[in-house]
Amino acid sequence: MGKIKIHPDQKYIERLSANNLAVIQEIYKKFVPKVVFYIKNNSGDQDHAQEVVQEIMILLFNQAKAKTLKLTCPFDAYFFLLCKRKWLNELKKISSKAVTIHEDVGSINEAGLKLVQKTEQFDEKQQLFDATFLKLDDKCQELLKLSFTVKKMKEVAKKVNLTQCDVQKKILLCVGQLTEWIQKQNQFKSLTNN
Amino acid sequence: MNEQRYIIFDHYLQGGMAAEEKNNFENQLKTDPEFAAAFQTFKTVHLQLETKFGNEKEREVFRENLIKVSDKHFYKPKVIALQPWHYSVAAVVMILVGLFFYNYNRRPSFEDFNHPESAYFTEEDDVNATLKQAETAFNSKEYKKAVFLFETILKKKKKPEIEYFYGVSLLQDNQIKKAQNVFSEIKTTTSAYKDKATWNLALIKLKQRNFQACKKILLSIPEDFEDYVEVQILLRELE
Repeated sequence: MGKIKIHPDQKYIERLSANNLAVIQEIYKKFVPKVVFYIKNNSGDQDHAQEVVQEIMILLFNQAKAKTLKLTCPFDAYFFLLCKRKWLNELKKISSKAVTIHEDVGSINEAGLKLVQKTEQFDEKQQLFDATFLKLDDKCQELLKLSFTVKKMKEVAKKVNLTQCDVQKKILLCVGQLTEWIQKQNQFKSLTNN
Repeated sequence: MNEQRYIIFDHYLQGGMAAEEKNNFENQLKTDPEFAAAFQTFKTVHLQLETKFGNEKEREVFRENLIKVSDKHFYKPKVIALQPWHYSVAAVVMILVGLFFYNYNRRPSFEDFNHPESAYFTEEDDVNATLKQAETAFNSKEYKKAVFLFETILKKKKKPEIEYFYGVSLLQDNQIKKAQNVFSEIKTTTSAYKDKATWNLALIKLKQRNFQACKKILLSIPEDFEDYVEVQILLRELE
């Protein structure tokens, strides 16, 4: 099997990950008009388009940061299909009529479609995790947030008025609790295996 | 909850185990699938937490930038309550401004639709090295250099994909006549680049501000063209 060749448009992903303002402007100028046109032509309006594009942009930022996004097709086609599928799914939620997703076979190759599905799975996994995280008690949520943002255990302990040893133990128990809940979720398992 | 198990997982990940303890742990991972699955989930949870909170500050900055660009793009003016007489004044001003700018600003421009895609060749043969150079030059927007390199390659090997990117390089380098010839030739073939070439012929007409000819070419592009949405947008703007 040949080595996968990364598409030169990977530059968009790298620059998004680096929080480059110019690339956000470039994406809006070059690729967003097409998405707006599509959404407006398919029962949506300007506000729907704005929301869909913003959500996809944040998703791309998250996936770029997690270093799990390697483009093997043009960014244009990938971005358009992601937005289009996102909108059609939203439409399904708000509309009582059944909506069928028609793939534009000609606009993206098989590898590109797989990439889009991988990004959607990344999103789904994140949403499942977020929902599980919210089941934790407030103290656990606060401690976990602090331990991944403040990072220095000494400072975390000071902020929550506990000893460093108690904080470490409590954090471990919170992660353990999350692990047990996540392990019981078949949906999460199937997303992890993909 | 099996507290001891998570203490062990953490101990291992922190690199705090002695050699023998580490060996035992790794052996258990190999022989006990339930233990291995729990450890895998524990690692996944760590990764998810890192993604969720580790980049939070950067994500906030990104979100702020995104909203600025997005609002500017979608243009959301502040809503100000107007008095009834404001409407008549606004209507007169709008008609005057509209008449003044009619036929000037309403027409789409070449720049709005000129977004050449990146070149991405997967050739594996003797022209590979030059093609790689041409790909790099094209993607770095060094179109003059790309034209020269594509011409060198095309002397040895003709292929619609290479001819197409040669045409785009010519167009970007403002060698309109030559670009038109290249695209016209591709248009007569049955290659996968046929519709893309036609789209570029329409763009040439747009650049020359020959809107009638541009529209005529656009109408000849079939609906299954991969960028048909762009065709529709341009057609709508030409109306």
